[in-house]
Amino acid sequence: MSTPEQARDKEVASFRTRLFTAMMVIVAALTALGLYLAQRKVTADAERNLQENFQAELSALHKLEELRHAALADRCNALAAKSRIHAAIEDNAIDLLYPSAKDELRDLMEGEEPPPEHGAQSLHATFYRFLDGTGSVLKPPNPKEVGPLDAKAEDQLSLTKLPETQQIGYVQENGGTDGRAVAEVLAVPIFSTDTGDVISTLVVGFKPFQPKEAGAGMKSGIWVNGQLHLPSLPRSAERSLGRKIANAIAGSDRAENNFRVNVDGAPQLLFYKRLNPGSLFPAAYEICVYPLADSMAQLHRLRWQIGGAGALLLLGGFVASHLVALRFSAPVKKLALDSEENRARRRRAEAALASTAEELERSTRYSADASHQLKSPVTVLRVGIESLLVREDFRPEVYEELSALLHQTHRLTGVIDELLLLSRMDAGHLQIASAPVNLSQLIDEWLDDLGALPDSPDVKIEKEFPVGLFVAGERQYTSLIVQNLLENARKYNRSGGRIRVSAHGNARDVMLTIGNTGRTIPPGENIFERFHHNSTPSAASGHGIGLNLARELARLHGGDLRLVRSEDDWTEFEVRFPAANGVNAVA
Amino acid sequence: MRLRGLLWCNAILPLLPVALLASATVEGRVELPKSHSAPVQAKRYQIVTKGGVLSTQPPLAVVYLDGVFPEPDSLPTKEVTQKDLTFIPALLPVRVGTKVEFPSLDDTYHNIFSYSPAKRFDLGRYRPDERPVPSQVFDKQGLVTLRCDIHEHMRGLILVLNTPYFVMTDTAGHFRLDGVPAGHYTIKAWIDSRTTREKPVDLKNGQTLHVDFP
Repeated sequence: MSTPEQARDKEVASFRTRLFTAMMVIVAALTALGLYLAQRKVTADAERNLQENFQAELSALHKLEELRHAALADRCNALAAKSRIHAAIEDNAIDLLYPSAKDELRDLMEGEEPPPEHGAQSLHATFYRFLDGTGSVLKPPNPKEVGPLDAKAEDQLSLTKLPETQQIGYVQENGGTDGRAVAEVLAVPIFSTDTGDVISTLVVGFKPFQPKEAGAGMKSGIWVNGQLHLPSLPRSAERSLGRKIANAIAGSDRAENNFRVNVDGAPQLLFYKRLNPGSLFPAAYEICVYPLADSMAQLHRLRWQIGGAGALLLLGGFVASHLVALRFSAPVKKLALDSEENRARRRRAEAALASTAEELERSTRYSADASHQLKSPVTVLRVGIESLLVREDFRPEVYEELSALLHQTHRLTGVIDELLLLSRMDAGHLQIASAPVNLSQLIDEWLDDLGALPDSPDVKIEKEFPVGLFVAGERQYTSLIVQNLLENARKYNRSGGRIRVSAHGNARDVMLTIGNTGRTIPPGENIFERFHHNSTPSAASGHGIGLNLARELARLHGGDLRLVRSEDDWTEFEVRFPAANGVNAVA
Repeated sequence: MRLRGLLWCNAILPLLPVALLASATVEGRVELPKSHSAPVQAKRYQIVTKGGVLSTQPPLAVVYLDGVFPEPDSLPTKEVTQKDLTFIPALLPVRVGTKVEFPSLDDTYHNIFSYSPAKRFDLGRYRPDERPVPSQVFDKQGLVTLRCDIHEHMRGLILVLNTPYFVMTDTAGHFRLDGVPAGHYTIKAWIDSRTTREKPVDLKNGQTLHVDFP
């Protein structure tokens, strides 16, 4: 008994292992998914935040540019409206151009010096120049008045032609504190009030927009002419980053993009956007570099958190799987036990069934043997009695006694025959040779016999059936059924009673009903049981197999026998026979 | 102006018989650019700029004899008035050394100036009652563009010539130069600030030469 229990424990353990493994796989998958999603989200968030930051900065830049443009546009319109400017340009009095414009542009150049931290945001220009009709810079007679520029920077102001719209450009200056600076220049066309033609261009230089440091180590600068100007970076990093930007810009036709770079070994996200799309000036790009250290740290933290959560989940899963396995295994264990019990029960039932069958077989065989064994002595007995009856030397009382004994031997033979029949039926050896049997005739014969019996009580017989009612069956057994029922009707009748025999048929069945007056059968009494005996003793007691035999035979024929009623001095049986094919059609 | 012109006519009339005897006449026609609009008012010419070229509208030409002529003792003073925010006349040919006065007839300030290489000047702001009337002496040959610092659309031209013999064509381009001394000259026709046509001429006394500028 210990081996199956061990096996069961083993099964439960393996179930637990499987459950835990499944949980582990699920938790691991969830953790991995969580890590992946977190990484994506953090990266995307960082990128979006920085993008927003970059866009905000650009919009600040553009706002300032717009202000500058507006201020300049006003001034340029005023300038263009000035006769002296026209005169200077049209009458080739270039030496008078700058002096003529000086008054007009004075406030653009001068004004109270703003504090350094707002210097870049001011609308004040650092220099201005005019371009002649070919787009070349008109040399100012007094550079100090128009803002000094080195020759190289001044050359960058020249355009291939005079623009019809405002142009934004960026030029490299050698000025500035660290020897390099980028100035933002706005080129504004001056239209002739006479003809509407562009007669000159005013190029005004400003300090480039320097966004406030947005914290988190953000750095911004300008990339122009293949060079990056990001003063907060060391020169070497600036140069290498400049090359990378040049490659990125050359490799993509987008005016705006971002990519990851490593600056001094630290990962950074670099944004760039063209500052002067469509300008006649060389392309310039706003560059913003954001360190990714923060988002990396956040990612790191999140990874730990998710990893920790995963581990906790796994631990919880382990515990839970144990509990669940225990709870699950209890019913499984119970189920196993139950099935074991069931198996035992079934085995017992099977054994009982087998023994019953065996007993049944034995009893059947026994009754068959007994019948045979009994028949011969009865025959011998009857032959003896008959031989005694033919003698004539006995007294008349002896003959009477002998005839009674002979009658008893006939009864005994009948019982033995019936037992033999029953045993054959029980053994399943009884075969019905079905043929049309004239039931009406059969009943009439038996009723005649009934009247001839010596101990017949005084009963009245009522008949109610057509002539020539045929049933399908074997005459011998059909007769036995009718005999049994009629004998019972006579036997259990009272004096002065009646017997009523009625039969009718249809295409399928023939119903024979036999009713008699007399003592009724108490309800609940199983009269069809073999060797049944009446609970109330009476003079007319049978051997207790007649009804059983009759019903077995009726059923064997495909019909049935049942007690229809038994009350108020009336007991009625009904037999159903299968109708003989086609024979009853006339009936 | 009409009065002064009359005076000027009176001054030279006594000299006419002599001049007729000892001088030649040049007449002809200058092919003028097509006018885009019909003349609105006679003798009221506006200066227009087209592609940086100044000309009168309707087109007029100044025909003059280029040569070496003795310095005059004195020259009559000429006038360019400002009326209704325009210069009248819009184009004035003068001999080198002529003094031109710029009286204003508008009830507003004007600030006449020129950045032209032939003459740079700036009269400053002045009102019509400014006395003496602001003036300039044009002592260098060339074209002078007159502008007003206050009214940027105002344009006027003074063609400073190194010759006493010049005349303006009518709107059809016809001209006639009388009293020209005999000799070898170059006759020139100024059409706009960039176009001046010229032809050599040989003039004899009493002759009337016909010259056309195609």
